[in-house]
Amino acid sequence: MAVSPVDQAVITRALIAAADEMGVKLIRSAHSPVVREAQDCSAAIMDRKGRVVAQADLIPIQLGSVTHTFRACLEHHPLETLEEGDFLINNDPYAGGQHLPDIFLFSPIFLDNVLIGVTATVVHHIDLGGGAPGLNPNAGDVHEEGITFPPSRYSVERDWKGGPFERLVRANVRMPEATIGDINAQFAANSVGGERLKDLCRKFSVDTVFAAMDEMLDYSERRVRAAIAAAPDGTYTGEAWLDDDGRGDEPVPVRANLTIDGEAISVDFTGTAAQVRTNMNSPFASTVSSAIACIKAVLTDPDIPFNEGAERAITVTAPYGSILNPKPPAPVRARLLPSYRVVNSVMNALAKAVPDRVIAPGFDTTTVSCLSHRGEDGYNIYLEIFGGGFGAGPDNDGCDAVDSMLSNCSNIPIEAMESDYPFFRVEDYSLRSDSGGAGRQRGGMGFQRIYRVLAENVTFATYGDRFRIAPEGVFGGSPGAKAETFVERGGQKIPLASKQQFTLQPDDRLVVRTGGGGGFGPPSDRAAALMETDEADGFTGNTGS
Amino acid sequence: MRVGIEVGGTFTDLVVVDTHGVRTAKVPSTPARPDEGAMHAIEAAGLDPAAIEELVHGSTVATNAVLERKGAKVCLFVTRGTRDLLLLQRHDRGSIYDLHYRKPEPVVARRDTFEIDERLSADGVVISALDEKAAEVLVKKMLANGEYQAAAICFLHSYTDPSHEQALARIIRAAAPAMTVSCSSDVTREFREYERASTTTLAAYVQPVIAGYVTRFSDALAARGFKGRFSIMQSNGGRMPAEAMARNAIAALFSGPAAGVIGAVRSVAGAGYSNLITLDMGGTSTDVSLIADGQLELAAMTKIDGLPVKTPVVDIVTVGAGGGSIAWADDGGLLRVGPRSAGATPGPACYGRGGEVPTVTDAHLIRGTLRSDTFLGGKMTVDGEASQRVFSTLADQFGLSLEEIADSAIRLADANIVRAIQQVSTERGRDPRDYVLVPFGGAGPLHAARVAEDLNIDTVVVPPNAGVLSASGLLLSDHVHYRTRTRRRRVTDATIGDIRATVAELQEEARDYLASLDIEAGTDFDRVLEMRYVGQAFEVSVALGDLDLNALGADDLSGLFAEAHRRIFEFAKAHGDPVEVVSFRVGAKAPPPEVPASPALLSKPASPAGRRTRLVERGEVLDAALLARDGLGDAALSGPALIEDGSATIYVPPGWAATLDAEGNVILKRES
Repeated sequence: MAVSPVDQAVITRALIAAADEMGVKLIRSAHSPVVREAQDCSAAIMDRKGRVVAQADLIPIQLGSVTHTFRACLEHHPLETLEEGDFLINNDPYAGGQHLPDIFLFSPIFLDNVLIGVTATVVHHIDLGGGAPGLNPNAGDVHEEGITFPPSRYSVERDWKGGPFERLVRANVRMPEATIGDINAQFAANSVGGERLKDLCRKFSVDTVFAAMDEMLDYSERRVRAAIAAAPDGTYTGEAWLDDDGRGDEPVPVRANLTIDGEAISVDFTGTAAQVRTNMNSPFASTVSSAIACIKAVLTDPDIPFNEGAERAITVTAPYGSILNPKPPAPVRARLLPSYRVVNSVMNALAKAVPDRVIAPGFDTTTVSCLSHRGEDGYNIYLEIFGGGFGAGPDNDGCDAVDSMLSNCSNIPIEAMESDYPFFRVEDYSLRSDSGGAGRQRGGMGFQRIYRVLAENVTFATYGDRFRIAPEGVFGGSPGAKAETFVERGGQKIPLASKQQFTLQPDDRLVVRTGGGGGFGPPSDRAAALMETDEADGFTGNTGS
Repeated sequence: MRVGIEVGGTFTDLVVVDTHGVRTAKVPSTPARPDEGAMHAIEAAGLDPAAIEELVHGSTVATNAVLERKGAKVCLFVTRGTRDLLLLQRHDRGSIYDLHYRKPEPVVARRDTFEIDERLSADGVVISALDEKAAEVLVKKMLANGEYQAAAICFLHSYTDPSHEQALARIIRAAAPAMTVSCSSDVTREFREYERASTTTLAAYVQPVIAGYVTRFSDALAARGFKGRFSIMQSNGGRMPAEAMARNAIAALFSGPAAGVIGAVRSVAGAGYSNLITLDMGGTSTDVSLIADGQLELAAMTKIDGLPVKTPVVDIVTVGAGGGSIAWADDGGLLRVGPRSAGATPGPACYGRGGEVPTVTDAHLIRGTLRSDTFLGGKMTVDGEASQRVFSTLADQFGLSLEEIADSAIRLADANIVRAIQQVSTERGRDPRDYVLVPFGGAGPLHAARVAEDLNIDTVVVPPNAGVLSASGLLLSDHVHYRTRTRRRRVTDATIGDIRATVAELQEEARDYLASLDIEAGTDFDRVLEMRYVGQAFEVSVALGDLDLNALGADDLSGLFAEAHRRIFEFAKAHGDPVEVVSFRVGAKAPPPEVPASPALLSKPASPAGRRTRLVERGEVLDAALLARDGLGDAALSGPALIEDGSATIYVPPGWAATLDAEGNVILKRES
């Protein structure tokens, strides 16, 4: 059926608004700081065929995965078997998921006994068991990383709300109140989205809403295809490297072979390193999401609603057994590290096709800072996600001290942290002078965080990258600064690796420094006024940081 | 004689109430020196300043100082280790796929930010004392060349104990007695250091600007013989004596929209309406807010130019849907309206000032819901052919007639407004059906009935002289002062006494502050606790209403919270799950000296009654009645009808009927 232009526009905006409302309510009612302050979560509305039509703009990497995790659920529980009051759950990296902490929760929505859609939320949960609180950098397989919930169907009334599934979760996690609270926030957000969807169907009729949803997918597809068609056809290659596999010191290559053919793009990652022993493997869904996120950011208008239609013009393949499409049971917790090299290699390839649209490589690394304390009353786990400097663009300096592209986590205020985690104090949180790569446009600066440890039994766990290989500048720009982490203990400096676990002692000072972004264009072309401002503000011209 | 003067971007409005009744005046604003426009308005109304007993003023001076970055040169003092607080912000990006993202620029540069040795813990224990000697040396050195006009201080955890901030403020005042000093613990005593520092620096930034403005304006008034009381509107919808506002300028940051909402609330109160949703539609955007039981809802935080401001402000949601909003087709073939706007210049194509894109106002001219010969009460000539010309391309693109595309554009603008209203209602657990819609601003009454229909609201109340509602709101507002405090307490029988004491303490502080300005506060306070389940990070506002504080038990308070939480999030935890209060907000109020009868601001009819006009809406050609507000009789007039009311036009669609009530409100009711 044809939907009038005005109904189409109204339904489109209403569904996007409903997904946004789900996201906001999820964040505001959640318990773990990683959700409520860092906002590591996403929300989406799917049509009656399980296709994502509207998403909240929260975490790019999670968004692409909603479809894949739901498909895996449908293989076991087809749409026609779903009933009101059911929910589906999946966190399996080998069944469309990301890493274990990201739990995908789906609620089928019915109106007059007809399935009208599915609402979905994904949240990064603070701890799902495994070999260490919050994060186990030493995991040798996915089982050591925590509990897997394979794609499965449960009933909210029977299995949650004190039922057997809730008790199973409670028994397998270290901070059950936070985890159960966060899952409840997911249920509540799903139900809010469901109410909005029902209202819309009551107002416009189910058939009109279904037709409008079909058009939303076609609409995003059209806009993405139009943007791709504007880029020159050809095959372009791009490369990027990870420092190492977390144990050795050999760089790990990621290679993108990107083909623009009319209104379609395909990316193949042949030539990329084999999967590694450590947690730096990117489940295939993460690889796909990262490649699409980069193509979307470079080629298309930010205003195009991100849904399943937007993905139709883009094909991604990666050799099975590579770091971008690992075989089980490889551990995958730090999957964002290779995901970022997917972004860098795709951007590097696109730079050859559309040089005026790319930016320099940024710090482009997720640095996880996890401090856990086991006290009298059980575990208290702090976890924060750090970005660094963005790469400079043709007309702008890179953004300073901000989360990297695939993620969009906020920091936790020092005043909130110190009241929730009395086992440490923050002594410094500042920009790193001279960390942005010089250039006509300067790379964004990284930052440092210094923690003073105040208790016994405090453990630090981390993963990061760019300790050895800095992000390059482009078109004559200089590289950004590298990252480093160390502990100051009684006048002694103990350097830490980018991926490791370390037991801290009272009075230790833990210093975490993230890196800057690469510069764009030769530094000699930089405007004098900008150089003076940078110097006056102490962004440049200091020694060290 | 009581006078309200509201300085807007384009016009300065004046409302005067005296024994002879109510008069209004409208003069062009003088953006560079807004006080001159205000003085012109007094002259235009033929008023003798010596006869004015009470002058209430609202202006965008503070807002513009921030938006145009014309505030004071400010230096900021922070705890050692937090120098980059304003630049680090919250580490997130406003737009997730924008590769060229830039953070909002703070009003204080890094070179003007200085670190001080001192430290408190989260529970207010001194970890290291303020090094006063070192601070004195630093302060003297940096003030030496007289570069700074204002100082801001924001130390970590100062909401628990302000003494370090106060000690540094004394040192600065000793070194530079004329300097404005803003302590974060005075400006907003709440946790989250970036938001508090941002608010404090903005306070320092606008302070000298507002102080200078108020002084200049007061002097000019005094020179003309004014001896009355001079007060200024705040963002919270209450007013403050001008001399106090000169010391607390940040409170006036969003005074404009607040005055309009107060005007709406008080204008329709006489007719018995206390649950309302206001809709203020202007040239570039529409502001909506929700009022339950006649009480303004305040938001604890808002943003200006991307920078957080943590002071209580009337909770308004703004959407880019105004008369100048542009209709366009995106590259995927979806029809869109806004958020881009043709603004006042060039404005809609029909203004003939060079506007070449189709706008909502042009769409109304095509539909016939605005008429070219009576535009703005006939004070402005418009070019209806230009409207048709700019819409023709869009019409062809969608294969629609001019009238159909114009109607579609207006319905999309309506849908944008509906979504804004849903944000303040359904998304907060309020059912719009329990409210009446109160439209004002130039275009509000044109859209209100259809917007109401979409929300299942069956009553629209259009107050008299909707065009100068902000100016009358000034006269109708209370004197108000708020105190806020972060003091985290788990709600138990053991702590309830402490919670009650904090509320009582803030009541007393707020009342005493008003008393220090010779204002006697009433006995009813606005008391709101920001609460959450232990473990959550965001608070839900829980209003205590007129509950007796002494009778308030831990269970009652937890119950109030659970109810508020359920309303917003659609769930509450089991009874007994721990709940905490995070911060407190208490406002003391003093009503205007005498509550005036709702000013009957009746306007002159713009056209004689009894005429008909042709308009097109939703695919139908309608023969509509055309009349002025006072053309309405006792009997209900069924739509379709256009009521031309000076600067605003009211549209009564088919299925709606209009009446005029004794207060001069036009009431639109949906016919069942």
